[in-house]
Amino acid sequence: MAKPSDRLETLKQFQENAPIKIQTLGQFNLWRKGEKIDSKSWGRDKTVQLFQYLISNRQRHALHREKIMDQLWEDGDDRDFKVALHGVNKVLEPERPSRTEPEYVIRQGISYQLDLEKIWIDVDALEKYIIIGNECFGSDQKVAKAAYKSALDLYHGVYLPNRVFEDWSSEEREKTQVLVLGAYITLAEIILSENPMESVRLAQCAIAIDPTWEDAYRLQMKAYIAKGNRPQAIKAYQKCADILDEEYGIDPLPETKKLLQEIESLA
Amino acid sequence: MTKKADQTASFMVRFNQMIFEENGESKVQWRGKVSHVQGGEDKSFSDFKEAVVFIQEKLAELTIEATKDHTPDEQDGILKKSFALWKSVAKEGPKVFMETLKDPRKQVANLQDQISHFGDELSEKVQIDQWRNASKSDFNEMKESIGDLVSQMKKLNAKVDSLSTPVKKPRTTSAKKPTATAKTVAKKAATKATSTTKKK
Repeated sequence: MAKPSDRLETLKQFQENAPIKIQTLGQFNLWRKGEKIDSKSWGRDKTVQLFQYLISNRQRHALHREKIMDQLWEDGDDRDFKVALHGVNKVLEPERPSRTEPEYVIRQGISYQLDLEKIWIDVDALEKYIIIGNECFGSDQKVAKAAYKSALDLYHGVYLPNRVFEDWSSEEREKTQVLVLGAYITLAEIILSENPMESVRLAQCAIAIDPTWEDAYRLQMKAYIAKGNRPQAIKAYQKCADILDEEYGIDPLPETKKLLQEIESLA
Repeated sequence: MTKKADQTASFMVRFNQMIFEENGESKVQWRGKVSHVQGGEDKSFSDFKEAVVFIQEKLAELTIEATKDHTPDEQDGILKKSFALWKSVAKEGPKVFMETLKDPRKQVANLQDQISHFGDELSEKVQIDQWRNASKSDFNEMKESIGDLVSQMKKLNAKVDSLSTPVKKPRTTSAKKPTATAKTVAKKAATKATSTTKKK
């Protein structure tokens, strides 16, 4: 397997040069050869749904048509599927001659999947960057930092926000959110001594996603102390204690309390 | 015919595990959040029973909506059967998680068996057009379940009352609760109620 730094570089190049690029985090957008596709180009919402379903299940490989239809449109028929698939292919490859095989949606009999070698998807790239970051954490902090940063640069909000009430999108949303929370905290830890205020900001991003994420408050306390701002460090503890009390009816962990005691004992 | 999507409630449950040392002793604390996908609401919990109550409430709403054209007696019967199933989940749930930690492969097999068992039980029990054939013992069981429901409602009311009381709970600084690092596990539970309803 290639070195993490090389893999990081390859990922960045793919992000730069992929013929099809998709944003799913914060909002849904598609770029074809650098050109942003207007939402009207999708036509019916079923076309977008099918494409987003294929993105959400991209790692399951070869999704059976019946299963896709069952999950998306219970009352749909074969024609709905054909029309939606045609719409997807039309958006991805408007110039493709008829009777030729689609390039990006791979078909095997009645199973379908996206060709991830040719399509760049933000949520997929985010996961790959975090994998590199985790691999290098502790051994090569420079690469780890670059990888986490690249991942978090892609995070602009929840996965497919217009589908939050759809069953089929929730697994990917949850998985991404947990990955992002971990990345914010780890990166905030890595840069704590060199840039405490950026650490505070990253921890705040984690708190915005999950206000009960206790690690984030602890990091803010440490970062404020590193900047000599004792009142803000104590304030961060108070916020933590308040939210844990409100949400769970519990106190912060002993580790957090111990940190508070250390801060309070500072002259 | 009512759509299957309108009869489905999906729940996403997130657990954060906190393992820590306190007074020379290893401790573990679970913090969690359960989200109702179709409704968008969520609930934080530190006791799994609270998550079960949340799920029960959402499923009861689904069943009530699905049976709104039935008589109150019919509704009670169907709700009772729905709750009987979830009472088992509430009872067995925490045990299942502990067993899963000990032997994940065995528990996956057990869960598969239980799911098929519940599926059979539901298809056998919740037959809306057969409710009139319920026996006396069924009615007694129903009465007991309604009694349980009433006591659960009382507890919930007490909780709501205590929340609306403007007295701030004194925060203790003594190390009563755990310390630790967090790892996160995301699980998904999709539940289907055998009833009809309209999605909000």
